Amino acid sequence: MTEHHGGGAGPPDEYVEAEIHRLLAEDPAVAEQGITVVRRERGLVLYGEVESPHRREEILRRVAERFPDVPITSDIGVIRAQAPTQVEELP
Amino acid sequence: MIRIAAVGDVHLDQDVLGRFRPALEELPDCADVLLLAGDLTRHGTESEARCVAQEFGDLGVPVVTVLGNHDHQCDQVPRVVKVLEDAGITVLEGTGIVLEFPAGRLGVAGVKGFGGGFAGRCASDFGEPEMKAFVRTTNESADALGEALRGLDCDLLVALTHYSPVPDTLAGEPLEIYPFLGSYQLGQAIDSAPTALALHGHAHAGTERGTTPGGVRVRNVAHPVIKQAYSIFHLGDHLVG
Repeated sequence: MTEHHGGGAGPPDEYVEAEIHRLLAEDPAVAEQGITVVRRERGLVLYGEVESPHRREEILRRVAERFPDVPITSDIGVIRAQAPTQVEELP
Repeated sequence: MIRIAAVGDVHLDQDVLGRFRPALEELPDCADVLLLAGDLTRHGTESEARCVAQEFGDLGVPVVTVLGNHDHQCDQVPRVVKVLEDAGITVLEGTGIVLEFPAGRLGVAGVKGFGGGFAGRCASDFGEPEMKAFVRTTNESADALGEALRGLDCDLLVALTHYSPVPDTLAGEPLEIYPFLGSYQLGQAIDSAPTALALHGHAHAGTERGTTPGGVRVRNVAHPVIKQAYSIFHLGDHLVG
C-alpha cells in the first residue's frame, strides 16, 4: 500500500531525515529499526516491512503528526508469514 | 538427518498474535526443532512475552531461543525469560542445550551477541570508559558463546545468535551501520568449535547466506529477510535416521 501525506513545503533536509529515523526507533508506539528513510526531490519515502497493517499505519500517523509539513510517501509492506514450501539441504 | 526450523525478529505483540500459528502448526511434520534468533518482542515487556508464549508455545517440537536487543528495551529480561521458560521455551544466553533425536544429538549454543564491527573496521577496547564497556560487552558475549559451543557433547553443533557473526549476511544494509549489526568476535567463537551451522537475525535488510572465515555456514533468518514463517534446514546427512 502506498500512501501520500503532506505537501506544499520544500524538500526536507538531512536533519529531518535523521529525526524521522530516530523517531521510528525511539517512539514506543513505533519501535521499528528496519525502516529506511529516503529523501527525494518531492519529500520523503519510507521503505521497509513490518509485522502488521496496524504498525504500518502507526508509522505514517506518528511521522505525519511530528512533521505535518513534510510530504511523506509510505511504501511499507507487511511481511508474509506462510509456511515454507522448500527446505535448504546443507550436506 | 536433523531438520531445523528457524526464524528471528518476529516482534510479537497483540496485533501479530495468530499470524504465525497456522504455519507453526505444521512444524511437527517438517522439523525436529524450532530455533528463534531473538527480537521476539517489540519492547521486551512481560505482556509481549506472553504473546510469544501463546504463539510459539505448545508446538509439538522443542523451541530454543536467544533474546535480541528489542527484548531488552524495557529492562524486564528476567520476567521475559520466566514467561518464555514457563511456556516450555528454552532461553540461551552463553549456555547450550543438547536435544536427542532419532538421528542423533543436536547441540545448540546461544548468546544474544553484540555489535562492534568486523575485522579491520571494528571498535577497539581503548579510550573512553563508554567505548571500552561497549567492546568488552562484545568480547564477553563472544567468549561465552565460544565456551558454550566447545562444552557441548553432541553429533551436530549449531550456534544461535541475534547479532551477526559475519558481514556476508548484512549485504543490503548500509555499510555505515555494520558495527551495530554484529561483530567478528562472534564468528571467531563459532570457528573455535566444530560448528555445522550458525543462525542469526537482527539485520532486516540483510541477505540469507554467508560463511565464517573458518567455513561455517551462516544464515540470517530475520523474518523480513526470509519472508516466510520460518526457514527449514536439513543437516547431518552422515547421521543415521
